[in-house]
Amino acid sequence: MRTVLRAFSRLYPMAKRWLKRFPGGVYPSYRKELSLRHPCHDPIIPDELVLPLQQHVGAPAVPLVTVGERVRKFQRLAKPAPGLSAPVHAPTSGLIKAIEKRPLPHPSGLPDWCIVIEPDHEDEAGEMPIEIETPTCPTSLKQMILQAGIVGMGGAGFPSWRKLPQKKGQVHTLLLNGAECEPYITCDDMLMQTRAEEIIRGACTIAACIGAEKIIVGIEDNKPRALAAMQQAAEGRGVEIQSVPTVYPMGGQKQLTEQLTGIEIPAGAHAVDVGLLMFNVATVAAIHHASEYHQPLISRMVTVTGEGLNDPMNIEALLGTPFATLAALADPKTELNYPLIMGGPMMGFEVPDPTVPVIKTTNCILANPPQPVEPAMPCIRCGECMEACPVNLLPQQMYWHAHAHEWDKVEKLNLFDCIECGCCSFVCPSHIPLVQYYRHAKGEIRKLREEQAFQEHARRRHEAHLARLEREKQEKEARLQAKKAAVKKQAAQQTPASSATPSARQRAIEAAKKRAQQEAGGASTSSAADKRKAAMEAARKRAAAARGSQDKSTDTTAEAKAQRKQAAQAAAKAKAAALKAQKTAQQSQQTGATEQQSPRKAAMEAAKRRAQALKAKKQAQTGENSEKTAPNTDQETAEKTGPQKNGGTPMATTPEAADSAQSSPPSAEARRKAAMAAARKRAAALRAKKQQESES
Amino acid sequence: MISAVVIFIALAALFGLLLGYAAVRFRVEAPPVVEEIDKVLPQIQCGQCGYPGCKPYAEAVAHGEAINKCTPGGEAVMLKIAEILGVEPQPMAEGEEAEKSRMVAFIHEQDCIGCMHCIKACPVDAIVGTTKAVHTVIAQECTGCELCVPVCPTDCIEMQPLPETPRNWIWPDPEKVIPTVIPKLESPHP
Repeated sequence: MRTVLRAFSRLYPMAKRWLKRFPGGVYPSYRKELSLRHPCHDPIIPDELVLPLQQHVGAPAVPLVTVGERVRKFQRLAKPAPGLSAPVHAPTSGLIKAIEKRPLPHPSGLPDWCIVIEPDHEDEAGEMPIEIETPTCPTSLKQMILQAGIVGMGGAGFPSWRKLPQKKGQVHTLLLNGAECEPYITCDDMLMQTRAEEIIRGACTIAACIGAEKIIVGIEDNKPRALAAMQQAAEGRGVEIQSVPTVYPMGGQKQLTEQLTGIEIPAGAHAVDVGLLMFNVATVAAIHHASEYHQPLISRMVTVTGEGLNDPMNIEALLGTPFATLAALADPKTELNYPLIMGGPMMGFEVPDPTVPVIKTTNCILANPPQPVEPAMPCIRCGECMEACPVNLLPQQMYWHAHAHEWDKVEKLNLFDCIECGCCSFVCPSHIPLVQYYRHAKGEIRKLREEQAFQEHARRRHEAHLARLEREKQEKEARLQAKKAAVKKQAAQQTPASSATPSARQRAIEAAKKRAQQEAGGASTSSAADKRKAAMEAARKRAAAARGSQDKSTDTTAEAKAQRKQAAQAAAKAKAAALKAQKTAQQSQQTGATEQQSPRKAAMEAAKRRAQALKAKKQAQTGENSEKTAPNTDQETAEKTGPQKNGGTPMATTPEAADSAQSSPPSAEARRKAAMAAARKRAAALRAKKQQESES
Repeated sequence: MISAVVIFIALAALFGLLLGYAAVRFRVEAPPVVEEIDKVLPQIQCGQCGYPGCKPYAEAVAHGEAINKCTPGGEAVMLKIAEILGVEPQPMAEGEEAEKSRMVAFIHEQDCIGCMHCIKACPVDAIVGTTKAVHTVIAQECTGCELCVPVCPTDCIEMQPLPETPRNWIWPDPEKVIPTVIPKLESPHP
């Protein structure tokens, strides 16, 4: 049957599509022989390794090292973030040169956080970060894969531990993806040729852990040497090696699954849901290294190829090796002044900077000199894209809607089932970059969804904000009401009832005392804010006291009233005391911050001073040329006394400044007293002046 | 003649009762229009419409307010409201297009005096800080309403676009990268 079809395909080329099970597909020129001319290149240690914290799908890893630290090979540099994430390990020993933003091998070309290592070329290994000895169940295998930092190495970069089933026996068939359908790339081919044993043993380990009964390896029939090597390694182990027809995109997970098993994974479902699990051969080799040697993922096979290189090759490259270093090893024909491509020509993307590093998903570095870009012409409705689509979508319809920015209509056409293989763009006779439209549409739709989620979030936050304002308003009202009631009661009954509620009263008094002491002690720092705070505190206490007394006496309303009144009185007293203490504190600054004065003394002192000030004011008012001469004479006296204390600093005319001057160490008691008197007079005069000014 | 009248009256009564019963039994609650409009509004809570938030504006629109007052939502939101209410679209007041990228407030902390003004103005409580302490904006909560900008006495609040990272980057519109070229055909009839 196959031979008949092959013969027929010479007459009708698209008959080749009937050789396989999934629809569509294209037949580009593969050019795989370029990089298969030589055996694997010897591994190298470059002068700088750049390890992005995000080399996988999910959350970026969290760095564990600091700049300047010496790290050894296999050491864990960054731990996985909670959720979907993977750790990063040191590929060789060296110094942490920097943790900074560097351009990533990402289509955006935007910089992101990377750990930069300067290797010391000693390649000294540290302890292995994997604690699991031999995995026996899905849970321990998951743990091991997570600790090893293994992600899907075919190009998707999905953390492999997340793909594993929860329970043993959930998966009946383990599939290995060795199709490697992209043109130019041969890294999996080379890996299968050289490490077939490791891949087969790794597959057996995984199958034993998850309880899979069958292992099938799918390899495209354009890799005869890999097929032979794998068949040899698989002998007697019950691993089935299947040769699959060469067609792009045979290496897609869903496409190869359908080809190998005949099962089409439904849209929106995972392979695990239908009892299947697929890993790339490189991922399986990495899992084997982790289970056998407890090695984390620190290097991978990379194809360095392209029409612009003399010596295309495969190399086991350390993660973090710059693209430019590897491209230089392959002897470029001309200077590499054009952008390199990460991945193959179908799904790969240009990297903006040749210094971007190899990451866990870098399977190929392609140096193809840029071809002239064909201008996109209008769609002629030929329907070729529909024939080529391997997931049976309607690329042309999707294109119309994506072009018109009708995202909801594109989504209805199952845009999110598109695997972005690029077959549609490849066959389009009008050179329309169809897959770019779908990528853009997917991004826009995701953005819209995020925006919607954010809107909902903002709405809830605004509601919470309004609820908070309302609550605060009510609380304020309640406080005001309590205060009003208290004041009314106090006005009605002047004499305080004595022993009804000692607790509330005592509390209030005590609080007031404490406040007064604090004020007197740390008076120098008292500010408007503190006063306000104190007032608020007092108000709160008052409200609390009122509430407390209310709660306690539910039996008789009369008692409650009395209690409330008492509380209010106590609060009022406390308030008065606080006020007094504050004043005292302000005026007792000259007595030194360390001196502790009782509030009463302070109050008396203040009262005295007030009286003196009043006197001075009167004098100033009655004096002949009161306004101008009084301050002047005061200033003169201050100037006389000033230099002796302050060492010649000019005197300020404000009372506060005078006070501060007096707080400096005194030379003689008499002088100090004189200065104090002068300051007092000055202050009084100033006050008088101000008052007069305001009056006039 | 009379029998026909009786029959028709009886039928009318019967169907009337049936319809009346069905109206009660199979009653469908229409979704409240206010909620629907509120869902469409951008929830920035900026107050540019003259109402203290998106919900009050949604209520006002449901009661006959103009539907073109949501500046941040732009024409798209206006069209959606028109669709919900089944009214004619109204042109947006100014030709000002809504900014595409999300802007968030940023406080230059060296100039912040801790006055609490911006905190009180924020409709989603996205600014943290207290009296005499430096304030800061929680970027992922900020809706970019700009209400905090004019109240700042030191003008230390600036609106900045969210930085673009590989995580929030999306593929550019191919139309802008490789524009479709429409070839000019020579007309057969000059």
